[in-house]
Amino acid sequence: MTNPICEVTNTLRFVSEAISSGRLVHPRCRQRAEEVAKLVGDISWGRGGPEHCGAIENLARSLVEEGPDESCVQLGREILASLTEHREAFESHIETHNCPTGECVKLAPAPCQMACPAGIDVPSYLTLIGMGRDAEATEIIREDNPFPWVCGLVCTNPCEFMCVRGRMDEPISIKYLKGFAAERAMSEMRYENPPKAPDNGRKVCMIGAGPAGMTAAYYLALKGYRVTIIEALPVPGGMMMVGIPRYRLPREVIDRETGMIESLGVEFRYNTRLGKDVTLEQLREEGFEAFMVAIGAHSAFKLMIPGEDDYPQVINAIDLLRRVALGDRHLPGERVVIVGGGNVAIDAARTCIRLGCREVTVAYRRTRSEMPAHEEEVIQAEDEGVRFAFLTVPVAVEGSDGTLTALRCLRAELGQPDEQGRRRPVPVKDSDHPLKADAVISSIGQVIDRTGLTTLEDLRWSKRSTITVNTVTMETSVEGVFAAGDVVSGPATVVEAIGGGKKAAEAIDRYLQGIPQPKWPQVPVRRRRLECLEVPASTKMIPSRPHMPLLNTDRRRITFQQVELGYSENAVREEARRCLRCDICRRCGLCVEICRDKMGVDALQLGYLNFDHPSPTDLRTTSERCIACGACAANCPNEAMVIKDENGERCLRLCGTVLNRLRLEYCEQCGAVLGPARYHDYIAKRTKGVSPLVEGRSLCVQCARKIAAGRHAEILPAQ
Amino acid sequence: MAFRRGQRVEVYRKSDDESWEPYMNAYVGLHGIVTDPDMTKNDPGALIEVSLDEKGTHRLPQDCLRILED
Repeated sequence: MTNPICEVTNTLRFVSEAISSGRLVHPRCRQRAEEVAKLVGDISWGRGGPEHCGAIENLARSLVEEGPDESCVQLGREILASLTEHREAFESHIETHNCPTGECVKLAPAPCQMACPAGIDVPSYLTLIGMGRDAEATEIIREDNPFPWVCGLVCTNPCEFMCVRGRMDEPISIKYLKGFAAERAMSEMRYENPPKAPDNGRKVCMIGAGPAGMTAAYYLALKGYRVTIIEALPVPGGMMMVGIPRYRLPREVIDRETGMIESLGVEFRYNTRLGKDVTLEQLREEGFEAFMVAIGAHSAFKLMIPGEDDYPQVINAIDLLRRVALGDRHLPGERVVIVGGGNVAIDAARTCIRLGCREVTVAYRRTRSEMPAHEEEVIQAEDEGVRFAFLTVPVAVEGSDGTLTALRCLRAELGQPDEQGRRRPVPVKDSDHPLKADAVISSIGQVIDRTGLTTLEDLRWSKRSTITVNTVTMETSVEGVFAAGDVVSGPATVVEAIGGGKKAAEAIDRYLQGIPQPKWPQVPVRRRRLECLEVPASTKMIPSRPHMPLLNTDRRRITFQQVELGYSENAVREEARRCLRCDICRRCGLCVEICRDKMGVDALQLGYLNFDHPSPTDLRTTSERCIACGACAANCPNEAMVIKDENGERCLRLCGTVLNRLRLEYCEQCGAVLGPARYHDYIAKRTKGVSPLVEGRSLCVQCARKIAAGRHAEILPAQ
Repeated sequence: MAFRRGQRVEVYRKSDDESWEPYMNAYVGLHGIVTDPDMTKNDPGALIEVSLDEKGTHRLPQDCLRILED
């Protein structure tokens, strides 16, 4: 967890206090303090450069050395102490344009970026997609994730759950937009690797060519390391390739993105299993100085029921998916029962349909609402003809002459919730019945195969049979050995593995450079500072994201063609414009408070600002009441709310969304800008009785005073 | 199953689980959304993925989480 106090903000605060307190009486001293405040302010607002820290230090030294009084010396010492003690924080603000505490509001990442396990700068790439700059968007994504195309198809999108737009209506379709941009960039041959650092001659070995291993390889190769990946399978991708079916993630997508990593000089050694084809000692002898274990979770739990080991037609889902991914398209059986209710069970069932199985049934011991698989996957499976047997508990595999004939099951009902709130399935008495089948596929969870790692005696394992690591650095208990992906988290998501791989790459680099490791998780870095797209409030309020077109059901039942066909270009550009740009608006609510409580106008209906209890939002209603006074913009700490006079109009924008546009009025006398009529009326109402009489004329204050003063002169008695 | 995708939760206490690390103490009291519950077998002992408001996405043990009422 990050330190809740930002030392940059803290320094700015005490320097500003010293200036405003009046204790810096000497003009030169005050001027130096103001210069320090300006420089620290630059850092806090993301405008700092490499020379800022040195300049602050020099100014602070001159305060200490040249005084001339104790207050100046004291302030100089405090600044120097802060800079010395927290130099890393200052430099990190400058280099990463990021404030880990979020106190430097201009530098804090948006909720979607914070939520992404890989820390991708979502608002920046969505803005670029909205502008039609897909290759640049892909470039930004790849600064944090080398698999934008893969993630654009199969990510579990935690970003969308945290999307602030979701508090208004529906979250932005971040995942599909990412996939579109990556596909377009690849198609236009503009999907490129960033420049690589010169070769540093040091060798690092990844064990496993899945998302974690390849991600770490990518970032280390960019830093100039010589990276080799050993992989037990004959193909790259790990679970992306052999765990996710082709109708969700085409092989070409993995191959093309792997190709980009390979083109950085990463060596892939396929069909090489650790502990069997090569040992860690042999790899050390080859000169590898650091290792990362990313072997995934490719083994399966057994059903532990009688008959399970007696029939070769009992297989597990992971084996089936792997076999099919590697090209074997034989049916497991005509009538197949899949045991389990997770995503892998659904993948196995839909794969069986595509292989040509006549009857595919998923047997799950609870009800549909308890199924852990994604709802949309379940619906698609049903569309394709998968049947579901809920509240069904398998008890034995039956058969004769070595051939499986049925899965014997019990019907169940859900019992009372236990202390954890879970309703356990309770078998119904005498409900024993057979589910006719000639193949049973178990899908009740995956486990890590430790076989190749037994020689690492000091490697610590958790009670979940995963490798224990420091989750900040992915270091294991064995020096120089790191781990990431499912082998650490248990069966998890592609994007989590990518995030783990990225953390491990950073930690491996520090380990080999002898730099201390971080103590707290890294906060994502804002990669760009892009202008907002201008959108009318009515367009911004378009409530729903586009519907994803799907391949027709008949073709889905007989081929492994990609089911989700992708958005049209128009839909993508429109969808990107729905983004609220939460990298700029920090949702502090000051604008709403000022407008409602200070101005008494209450024109901002921004219910989405509240995380826990969002209320309705309507950006269009602002124009009905807003007087364009600019109080919201003047008080916005982050320049999210901007008011500007342009082309004879006063325009109020929130992160590019045009909330109000009113025609300006000008002074009849001198031509000075008066503001819109509505603002004028508001002021006139408030100052009624004290303002000079203008008799309905449009006059600025100065001209009104002049006219009023003239009238007074006329009525004054002659001296 | 106690936790489902999209549910709003609170980290209401430190966990006794071995996967709980000292830096996680600062997450106590934060609210978030379950983004990836145990997708296989509803194991109460499994770590689940939670996106915490402004504090990132983490795999946390289930004993430190409670569901927030809508």
